[in-house]
Amino acid sequence: MIQPVLDARGISVHYGGVTALDEVDIAVGPGQVVGLIGPNGAGKTTFIDALTGFVRHEGTVRLDGVDLKRKRPHARVQAGLGRTWQAVDLFDDLSVAENIAVAAHRPTLVSTLRELLGATLPQSAAVASSLEALDIAHLAEARPRELAEGQRKLVGIARSLAAAPKVLCLDEPAAGLDTDESAVLGQQLRRLADDGQSMLLIDHDISFVFGTCDHVVVLEFGKVIAAGLPGDVKNDPRVIAAYLGTAAASISGERS
Amino acid sequence: MQNILLFSILGLASGAIIATIAIGVVLSWRGSGTINIAAGAVVMVAGYIFWCLRTGYFAPALMMVPAVLLTLVLMALLAVVVEVVAVKPLRTASPLARLVASIGVLLLFQAAVQLVFGTAPVDSPAVLSAEVVEVVGVTVPIAHFILAGVVVVLALALSMLYRFTRFGLATRAASENERSAILAGLSPDSLSLANSVIAYVVAGLVGVLAASVVGVSASTLPLLIVPALAAALLANFTSFGIACAAGLAIGIGESLLFYASTQSWFPTQDGFALPGMQQVAEFFLIVIALWWRGSSLPQRGETAGRSLPPVPRQERLVRRAAPVVLACAVALVVLPSDFRQAVTTGLVATVLCLSFVVIMGYVGQLSVVQLALAGLGAFTVSRLGTEFGIGFPLGPIIAIALATVLGVAIGAAALRVRGITLVVVTLAAAIAIEQFVFANARWGGGQTGAPVESPTLFGVNLGADASFPGLNGTLPSPLFGLLALVGTVVLYAFVANLRRGDLGRRMLAVRSNERAAAAVGVNVRAVKIVAFGIASALAGTAGVMYAYNYSTVSAGSYGIAIALTLVASVYVLGVTLVQGAVLAGFGAIGAVVPLILQKWVLPQDQISIWVQLIIGVGLLVQLKLFPDGLLVGMELKKERRAEHKAQSEPSVVSPRVEEGVPA
Repeated sequence: MIQPVLDARGISVHYGGVTALDEVDIAVGPGQVVGLIGPNGAGKTTFIDALTGFVRHEGTVRLDGVDLKRKRPHARVQAGLGRTWQAVDLFDDLSVAENIAVAAHRPTLVSTLRELLGATLPQSAAVASSLEALDIAHLAEARPRELAEGQRKLVGIARSLAAAPKVLCLDEPAAGLDTDESAVLGQQLRRLADDGQSMLLIDHDISFVFGTCDHVVVLEFGKVIAAGLPGDVKNDPRVIAAYLGTAAASISGERS
Repeated sequence: MQNILLFSILGLASGAIIATIAIGVVLSWRGSGTINIAAGAVVMVAGYIFWCLRTGYFAPALMMVPAVLLTLVLMALLAVVVEVVAVKPLRTASPLARLVASIGVLLLFQAAVQLVFGTAPVDSPAVLSAEVVEVVGVTVPIAHFILAGVVVVLALALSMLYRFTRFGLATRAASENERSAILAGLSPDSLSLANSVIAYVVAGLVGVLAASVVGVSASTLPLLIVPALAAALLANFTSFGIACAAGLAIGIGESLLFYASTQSWFPTQDGFALPGMQQVAEFFLIVIALWWRGSSLPQRGETAGRSLPPVPRQERLVRRAAPVVLACAVALVVLPSDFRQAVTTGLVATVLCLSFVVIMGYVGQLSVVQLALAGLGAFTVSRLGTEFGIGFPLGPIIAIALATVLGVAIGAAALRVRGITLVVVTLAAAIAIEQFVFANARWGGGQTGAPVESPTLFGVNLGADASFPGLNGTLPSPLFGLLALVGTVVLYAFVANLRRGDLGRRMLAVRSNERAAAAVGVNVRAVKIVAFGIASALAGTAGVMYAYNYSTVSAGSYGIAIALTLVASVYVLGVTLVQGAVLAGFGAIGAVVPLILQKWVLPQDQISIWVQLIIGVGLLVQLKLFPDGLLVGMELKKERRAEHKAQSEPSVVSPRVEEGVPA
C-alpha cells in the first residue's frame, strides 16, 4: 500500500472510567475516502474529536509523517487536518464568504501587524474556489441565518476545504439532508476525492457511506470490528449482526 | 499568638457577609444562570432598610423584632420587583445582557441609596448582643460568633433544601438542562423567582444582623462582591457549604492580613503599610481559583438560541461620522470653556469606550478593567514627567505600553474562562489596581491629584493650557481638543476597520463559537490575547489623553462605580458598533450630556451619582426594549427591512441544491 496521508494508531479515549475508544487504527491514503460507521455510541464522533485534538487521547496521529500528538486543535488544522461538525456551527455574524475567509487566511505576525497599521489584505483565492467546489458561489454574500439546513452543511464543508486540509474529517455531512440532497452531496464529495482530496467520512446513512467511500471501517463499542472494501464489509457477518441487523436485508435488496 | 486568634475571630464578621454574598451568587447562578454582580448591593440595601425602620427615618421607629421582620418582607418584595424588571424579561436574551442587567441593578441600588442617605456610612442600632466573651485569653464580642453561626446554619439549611426537597431537585434539574425541565412541566420563571426571593431574604437577614457589627456603607458593601465571587468560584457556583466556608475563610484571611500590616516585617512605604494588599490578594485568589476550577466550571444548560448581540455591518461610516466630527471641531473653538472641556472629555471617553467595542463587542469577553488601565496610563504620564523628566512623546508611549502589558497579563491570567465569567477576574483586577496603585501615596494622586505637565513638541505647547485660546479668550485651548479629535477619529476608524479585516473576522469567529473557530485553524488564545492588547492600548491612550486634558490626575475619576457605569452605557447604546462608543463617550462623567444635565436639569452636586442612577434605570428600561443595545437593535431592523426588500426581488439565496439534482 502507498504511504497513507493520515495514519492514526492505537487511538484510545477514556471518559472517567468508561472506555469510549479502544486502540482504534485508521489510515487514509491520498485521494481516498474512508467511511467510519457504527451504531449509536460506537465512538465515531469521539474518534474525530480525538484526531482533531478536541478530546484527550492515547495513541499517535501522524499526518504526512508529522506527529500531531502534542498539538492543540487549531494547530492540527493548520498542519492539515480539517473537520466539520455534526451540527454545523457557522459564525453567525459573518457572511458565507467571510466564514470561509476565516479558514482560508492563515495569519502571520507580519500580516496581523500590517493589518493593525491599516493595510487591507487581499481575499484568498481559496474562498472562491472552495465555494465553487461545492456549487454554492451564489451564496457568498448570504448570512448564515438565511440558509437552509442543506446549504449550511455545504458551507460548513466549503469552510473546512478552504483551509486546504490534507485530510478532511466529515462528521455526518448528510444528516438532515433529504435523499436528493444527499445524492448530490455524495457526487460532490466523490468529485473532490477524484481531485485528490483525502477524506474520513462518518454518516448514519449507510447507502450514502457505501456509495461514496473507497474503504469502510466499522466501529462497535469503541472497537474496530471490520474494515475493508464496502462490498466486503457489507457482507461481513459480524457487521450484519452487530450493526446492520435487519437493515442489511433492505440494503442488499437495494443494491441488487 | 493571641493576636492571631483575636484577628481571626474579628474576621468572622466580614467573613460572614462575604459568605452570605457568595451564597447569594450561587443562588442566582442556580436559579437564573447569571452571575449576580448586585449580590453585595442587596446586603447593603437590607442594612439601610433596617436602619430606616429602626431609627424612624421615614416613619415612626419600630421595635427590633417588627423591624427585622418588616425588613425581610420588604426584601422579598424587592426580589420580586427586580425579578420582574431585570431578570424575567431577559430570559431569552444573551447571558451578557443578563449580566449587564445585574450591573444595572447594582448601579441603581448604590446610586439610590447614596442620593437618599448620603455617601457616609451610617451606624445601625445593634441587633445582636453587645456582650463579650473570653476565648483562650482574648476578649471578643459574642456577636461575631453568632453572625458566623447564623451564616453556617443558613448554608446548611440551603444545602438540605436543595438536596432533599422537590423544589431543590427542580432547581437543579432546570440549571442542568432548562429545556428538559420545561418539558417536565417546571417553570423556569417561578424557579428563578423563588431562588431570587430566597437569596434576597437570606442577604437581608445577614445584612440586618451584620449592620451594627461592620457598619452600613453604600461604597464598601457592594464591593464585597469581589471576595464573594472568589468564594463562589471555589464552590464551583454550586455548593453552598464550600461558598460559606470559603467566604468565612476569606474574611479571616483579610483580617489576618490587616494584622500583618501592623507588623514590622510588612512592606511599608514612607512609614505606612503598603495599601491595597488585600485587594491584590483577592485578585490572585480569584486567578488561582479560576485555574483550578476554570475548565470544570459548569456551563449552565440553557435553551438554545441565546447568543451575544449581533454585529451589524458598518457601512458608510465616513458619511455618518463626518457631520459629528465637523460639529466637534466647531464646538471646540466657539463654545464657552466648560463646554469645550466637556467636548474634549467626550472624545477621550469615546476612545475608552472603543476598547469595550473591541473586547466586549467583537470578542464577546466582558472586561471591566479598562478604566483602571486608563488610570494607570494617566498616573504613569504624571509620574514620568514629575519624577523622571520624561515628557511628550516618550512618556505617553511608555504609559500606553505599560497599560497594554498589564492588560495582556490580566487577559492571559483569565484565558481559562470565557465570556461573562471573565467579569470576575477583571472586576477584581480593577479594584486591585485602584487600591494598590491609585490609593498609594507615592504612585497615586493622593487627595490633591497628581500634576501633569503639558505635552510640548519642538517647543510648541500642545496642551490644554496652550497660548492659543478659545473664541472667548479663555482656556482650555482648542488646540488640545482638536488634537484629541484627530486622535479619536483615527482610533474610531481603526476599530471600525478592524471589523472588516482578517483579524476582525477571527475575533467574530471566536465570539461565535470557540470550538468551531479552532476547528478551522483559528488560534483562539492568540486572538483573545491580541484583543486584550488592543483594548488595553486603547484604554491606556484614553488615560494619557485624560491626563493631558485635565492637567491633573485624581484617583476618583477611575473608580469601579464609574467603570461599571461606562460598561453599562456602552452596552445599552450598542457595544458591537463604533457609534455606540461615541454616544457612550459623550454621556460619560465630565462629558457633554452630564454637563448639560448638571447645568440646567439636575442639582449641581452629586452629578456622578445622578448619572449612575440614570444609567442604571435607563439600562433596565432599555434592555427590555432592545436587549442587544439601542443602536444595534435599530441597525438590525434596518438590515431586516433591506433583506425583505431583497427577498421580494429575485433572491440571491435560491435553493440551488435542488436544481442540482441529476435527472
